[in-house]
Amino acid sequence: MTTADTAIAKPAKLTSKQLPQATPWVVATASIVLAIVIGFVFFGGFNVPVVAVLAGLINMVAVFVLSASYEGRRKAVDRVATTVVTSTFVLACVPLISLLWLTASKGGAAISGDLLSRTMLGMKGVLDQQYVAGEATLAGGFYHAIVGTVLITLAACVISIPIGVLTAIYLVEYAGKNRLGRAITFLVDVMTGIPSIVAGLFAFALFSTVANVLMPASAGIAKTGFTAAVALSVLMVPIVVRNTEEILRLVPMDLREASYALGVPKWKTIMKIVLPTSVSGILSGVTIAIARVIGETAPIMVTAGFAKTLNWNLFSGWMSTLPTYIYDSQLRPVSPGAAALASSERAWAAALVLVLLVMVLNLLARIIAKVLAPKSGR
Amino acid sequence: MKGIFVKMKHLAPSAAILAVGALTLSACGGASATGEEASGGDSDLQGTLTGIGASSQKAAMDAWSADFTSQNSGVTVNYSPDGSGAGREQFLAGNAQFAGSDAHLDDDEVKAGKDACGADGAFEFPVYISPIAVTFNVKGVDELNLSPDTIAKIFKGEITNWNDKTIKADNPDAKLPDLKITAVHRADDSGTTENFAEYLKATAEKTWDAEVDGNFPKEYGGEAAQGTDGVIQTVSDTDGAIGYADASAVGELSTAKVKVGDEFVELSPEAASKVVDASEKVEGRGEGDLAFDLARDTTESGAYPIVLVSYHLVCSSYKDQETVDMVKAWEKFVVSEEGQKSAAESAGSAPLSDDLRSQIEEVIDSIKVAE
Repeated sequence: MTTADTAIAKPAKLTSKQLPQATPWVVATASIVLAIVIGFVFFGGFNVPVVAVLAGLINMVAVFVLSASYEGRRKAVDRVATTVVTSTFVLACVPLISLLWLTASKGGAAISGDLLSRTMLGMKGVLDQQYVAGEATLAGGFYHAIVGTVLITLAACVISIPIGVLTAIYLVEYAGKNRLGRAITFLVDVMTGIPSIVAGLFAFALFSTVANVLMPASAGIAKTGFTAAVALSVLMVPIVVRNTEEILRLVPMDLREASYALGVPKWKTIMKIVLPTSVSGILSGVTIAIARVIGETAPIMVTAGFAKTLNWNLFSGWMSTLPTYIYDSQLRPVSPGAAALASSERAWAAALVLVLLVMVLNLLARIIAKVLAPKSGR
Repeated sequence: MKGIFVKMKHLAPSAAILAVGALTLSACGGASATGEEASGGDSDLQGTLTGIGASSQKAAMDAWSADFTSQNSGVTVNYSPDGSGAGREQFLAGNAQFAGSDAHLDDDEVKAGKDACGADGAFEFPVYISPIAVTFNVKGVDELNLSPDTIAKIFKGEITNWNDKTIKADNPDAKLPDLKITAVHRADDSGTTENFAEYLKATAEKTWDAEVDGNFPKEYGGEAAQGTDGVIQTVSDTDGAIGYADASAVGELSTAKVKVGDEFVELSPEAASKVVDASEKVEGRGEGDLAFDLARDTTESGAYPIVLVSYHLVCSSYKDQETVDMVKAWEKFVVSEEGQKSAAESAGSAPLSDDLRSQIEEVIDSIKVAE
């Protein structure tokens, strides 16, 4: 055998003996079928979790055995690792998909224009009993809760975005590693861990103390949409600070230095160079923060009560948001007993609207980020 | 900055869509639950009433506030069902104009009421009476008579079969099968359990030796079910089951007659309100304090003693005439025949008796402006 022969033979060995590309898919399908059969024989029927676990195990063993016998141990281990990673990913998707599916199917069945445009003003159990008995259409609605969600979230944004973004600018551009900067970072970290109910109690305690001093003996005026917005902004500020800080640190130092070199003052550099460069990132951070607080239930319950009627005024009167509406409908139906079904249907429809609202917000943030992103590749 | 503004132009279309969306949102909608425009009503009351308290009253409260606001469209009634304890506490702290509570004020709270409401303290009166049914599911048995002691023994697990001689003694004519008894209780902390246990403690103390509490005594065993619906579901699904639940939720299931004095009383709204009439007022209270020590062990003919009674707490005086007028109108509506009937339809409660109503109305009339 000549040296030339060995040189040619080696690469040939590397590429040879490889399973066809479709193998993992074929094996996976076969394992699922096998798992269904085993499920029928040993567990008496089609049971999704049993089949899923069985299929996963069978698939892993089959892939390993097949690959080890044909491709060798090295490749087999690699394939098993791929399988494990993929199945973990699928596993992580299961709750998400099942949640979306459940909300879409239950909420979709219940939702109607009437529900979207009506409030709970004048809602009583008899109406639900008539609906369940098939004598009337589903009464009630959550227009007031949609309005409340939008208003309270907007107010929370108005409070927390300036504070959050400016804090982040201070931390990145001015603080460097000084004591105040470290203290702020520490406090922001602590704030991130505040349970939402504590934020709600804080806001409620703050406002009822102020209300008691300013207007004693006026019952319940501390519960307003604005109090809820303050509670939510306590939760929002740390998220905005954290996200904005990360994004600002990504702005290359060269850009700032180039600006300084041209004699531009620091504040102008921040306004014209740093912020425009990072605006899309800041906005996505803000959206994440909004999505985080829009579904909060506990702090809203404590601070804004359970309103049944439409209220556009953030500064007076109770307000409902979609999460508190869902909670209240599900837990304490308008009509107890069999007609509680009607309350539950309204709750599912409201849940669907809430999920859609968050999704639309996310989409909007992506669009804004794309439009505002600095053009690259000059 | 200019760069940002140029980019903002791209955003104009989406901003416009948003604005249009917001406008449509505000243009349509805001209609009432039935989609009809809220009728004006003929009163000129204006303002907001805030109440906090028992969640047991929530369904009745929905009905009351719906009817009340249809007659007084200027008034908004808010009710936060945070629980009886929270309601009393917040009311005494001045955070609500009225409270709903499944228990009347204790002596300390009466004192606190004087700080919160002026010299006459807080007024309280029953507004919501909800009978608790002992419901069963035994094939071939439609009627069942039970004495308190038998009920206690069944739920304690001492009687385990439907053909037990103790049950037979109360039901000489019934054909009781040889069937295991499944006693179903609430798994969660609830006012229903507390009132049920209070009744058994008062009438069958020897058998029912557990503390009265919102949680069913664990050592007594039996089948636990989540919530009222869970109890009803389990009883309907199980042959030989017996459970207790709010009467409004029972539906098609049979309910047992309960021994009071020498007779067996069937559950009915009238029988339930009768027990309140037969009860004594708590001693040493002011005139406006209609707190009752429920006579669970009453021998009054035709009274059904397993009930949940829920109170409203109001102040004897409020700081301005507007609030006084509003509270008076609201509470009068709640106890009125119309209000009680509405609650009975929507929440399955038992209406107050006329006698009790006139007592309560007197109390409500004495609410005044603080000097």
